[in-house]
Amino acid sequence: MKLGGYEVKLERKMKVTGWEAAMISILAILIALGVVSIIFLQAGVNPITGYKEIFKFAFTTKYGLPLTINSSIFILLCTFAFIVPMKAGLWNIGMAGQLFAGTLGAFGVAYAFGAKGPQGANLSSGLVIPLMVIGALLCGGLVGAIPGFLKGKFNTNEIVVTMMLNSIAFWAVAFMIKEGGPFMGGGGEGEGFKLPESIYAPQKFGIPFTILIALLLAFLLYFLFTKTKVGYQIKTFGLSPAAAKYAGISSFKIPLLVFIIGGMIAGFAGYHYFAAIPRVAKITMNYGDYGDLSFYGIICGLISQENPLAAIPIALLFGGLINGGRNVQGKLNIGFGIDYALLGVLMITLVFFQFFYRYKIVWKKIEKEK
Amino acid sequence: MPDQNAEQVDKLPTRVIKHGDIVLEARGITKRYQSLVANDHVDFDIKAGEIHAILGENGAGKTTLMKILFGLVQPDEGEIFVYGEKVKFKSPLDAIQLGIGMVHQNRKLIPAHSVFENIILGHPSAGNILNMKSSAQGITELCDKYGFKIDLKAKVWQLSEGEKQIVEILKALYRGAKILILDEPTSALAPPETKKLLASIKIMTGDDLALVPFITHKLQIVLTTSNRVTVLRRGKVTARLETKDATEKSLAKEMVGRDVIFRLEHTESEPGKPILQVEQLSAINDKGLVALQDINFNVHEGEILGIAGVSGNGQQVLAEVLAGLRKELGGKVLLDGVDMTSSSSLERWQKGMGYIPSERVDVGSIRDYSIIDNVMMNYYFDSEFSKWGILDTRKIRKLSEEIIREYAVAVPGPDTPAKSLSGGNLQKVILARVLSRKPRLIIANLPTQGLDVGAAEFVQNKLLEARKEGAGVLLISEDLDEVLSLSDRVAAIYEGEFMGIIPIKQVKREDIGLMMAGLKHKGAEK
Repeated sequence: MKLGGYEVKLERKMKVTGWEAAMISILAILIALGVVSIIFLQAGVNPITGYKEIFKFAFTTKYGLPLTINSSIFILLCTFAFIVPMKAGLWNIGMAGQLFAGTLGAFGVAYAFGAKGPQGANLSSGLVIPLMVIGALLCGGLVGAIPGFLKGKFNTNEIVVTMMLNSIAFWAVAFMIKEGGPFMGGGGEGEGFKLPESIYAPQKFGIPFTILIALLLAFLLYFLFTKTKVGYQIKTFGLSPAAAKYAGISSFKIPLLVFIIGGMIAGFAGYHYFAAIPRVAKITMNYGDYGDLSFYGIICGLISQENPLAAIPIALLFGGLINGGRNVQGKLNIGFGIDYALLGVLMITLVFFQFFYRYKIVWKKIEKEK
Repeated sequence: MPDQNAEQVDKLPTRVIKHGDIVLEARGITKRYQSLVANDHVDFDIKAGEIHAILGENGAGKTTLMKILFGLVQPDEGEIFVYGEKVKFKSPLDAIQLGIGMVHQNRKLIPAHSVFENIILGHPSAGNILNMKSSAQGITELCDKYGFKIDLKAKVWQLSEGEKQIVEILKALYRGAKILILDEPTSALAPPETKKLLASIKIMTGDDLALVPFITHKLQIVLTTSNRVTVLRRGKVTARLETKDATEKSLAKEMVGRDVIFRLEHTESEPGKPILQVEQLSAINDKGLVALQDINFNVHEGEILGIAGVSGNGQQVLAEVLAGLRKELGGKVLLDGVDMTSSSSLERWQKGMGYIPSERVDVGSIRDYSIIDNVMMNYYFDSEFSKWGILDTRKIRKLSEEIIREYAVAVPGPDTPAKSLSGGNLQKVILARVLSRKPRLIIANLPTQGLDVGAAEFVQNKLLEARKEGAGVLLISEDLDEVLSLSDRVAAIYEGEFMGIIPIKQVKREDIGLMMAGLKHKGAEK
């Protein structure tokens, strides 16, 4: 392409360094913030003030920071649930369904121990909490195993199956908590029963222990995909199923395994949000929103280039923007939805900037024809 | 839109071309890919009624030149003249409209469509309304004229490679091509098919068509059919001569840049006990058609059994079934005397099988993986290389470095991604990885296909070395010369059946040719 006296060309990049990738992401974020400024301006708010408020609330206030961190852990876990199958070249679009299943598993255990009734006050936290976590992992893993099994055995499209299961799990939760379902709360307002304080998750500053597990998981997954045999098998399958078959890697076990792991992590995300955060501690009426939020795990996973460690800051940013954005719209009297507008624009610019992972623009002066 | 079609047809050259006129000329063609110079001031011309072969190894710049002449790639420097007029091709469409046709090595046909539909696809007269009758008549006339025998109603997927090639040629001719570029025209054909094709080509030159075949090794064909030869080496023209002045030796020397020994060191073999026993093996291919039928053979320790055959006669399915990548329909496979018929590929690897697949890029290696990770493909399951599920990366790095050194793989280091390796170097890595496991049975499927003479010689010597060390080798090859120079016994496969197995001493070239074409050998061992 010619631009004035210059020739502009796209060149394929062979490799992107971690540093370059970080710069590209930061640039994309700045541009997204610039674009969203228009919304602030149109509402008569100085964008700089707006952003200051968002970040101040999300990352410095005593009330906002735990909100940010709790959302971020949730997004991070969903990211891992997406990354693991993605490494095997499979798309897990079913984090929502898996996390609903995990939530039901966790609350099912609590229910079985009578947490809904009067004896809930004297439950042994050392027994019930681990069992709730196991319940969440099992149910999440089970729902994850369905697309994995179908993929491995019959080569069905995992995207379709996971999406369908989202719907099934959504209504399964509705059945359990609404209109006389067993998990229905006392208020009869279409939300689940409140967990008794005896089985509140251990926490500090309003942040439950799940943060430690999420961070540990980031390192574990990183290790899994760089050093272990299973990680190698998964990656090989993801890059070329035909080559994996040649190398003797089972085309049944790998899809099943990655979807079970993904489903378990998503199930744990369900436990984290609905059971472990003290201020929530029940299946809320708007639980469907958190199914939607889980989709940010896909974006986060793609932007971090499936690197579980790189996903941490991105999840933190997402969590901060959601809570800061929600706060700022009340405070500065901006129209509803600034949080999702911000995330939406950010997502598009980040995806758009992915282009620069693969190409670079070079321009050179056109020499006059001899 | 009849008007539009008429306009397009008008663009075809209407001038009278006389025998011997220069129809296409390229001057000073240069094309660079970053630091690599694919074509370095290449001059080339072709006259009407002439067959002008372009000869060169892989990587000599043949493909680039061909793409430039057909408008697929634009040269950095140089000029192209068609019928004496300077032209600049923006895309193949420009070339096609000037009467240049190309027959690709990888067939660009639609398998589910009929021959007729494939030929008229994209033809200017095939606008919105098809005039089947006149088109069919035109194509039939072409067939009669040049001696092509083909059923226009047949679906392309049912055709043999040779027939597909005919369809491609007919397509180009029907489109009005006067200059025909043929990419490796005989590489996938059986000897009788080759003969027929060459006869048709001869008739075409009588009609003042100009033909430019691009050929990698079949020097014999160059010598018997072409009028002139241009030899390329590393992007440069090293020789341009009348074919009558050339010999097989002189052409090979120009091509490689040194004298080539046409025979390998092949000592008498001392076969041991059978390492692979195949009994009554049958299998089907992806289309669900029978691809292998009641195959019986043994491979002994210290011998090479060569399987000759034209591409698509069941070799691929045979290799995959033996490697455990495809389920058999019936029969038995015994490895070292143990029935492994229902064993997985992994179990076979662990039992001492080594498989060198024909698809180097997507099966034998992973483009985005480094050499280390590619070497790992055949080692990750060994307890020596992984403990408690954690890979010993240091050990595998050491092995990769050894492989690079020992096999002289031209790369900066073991972290280089496979996608930056040439075909020859990639094959070296795959071969080294498999052979370093010291397999007792080696299944080598087209191990030298697409490699240049030097790399091919290297691979062949390594297979002979493995045989000397007592491995049994099953060599599947479409190159009859390779089969004859490496094997201790030769089998020919035709439509999924063995036409016989003959010890190398009793082999007559013509017999194998007939067997490849489907004639059972009478004196063959059972």
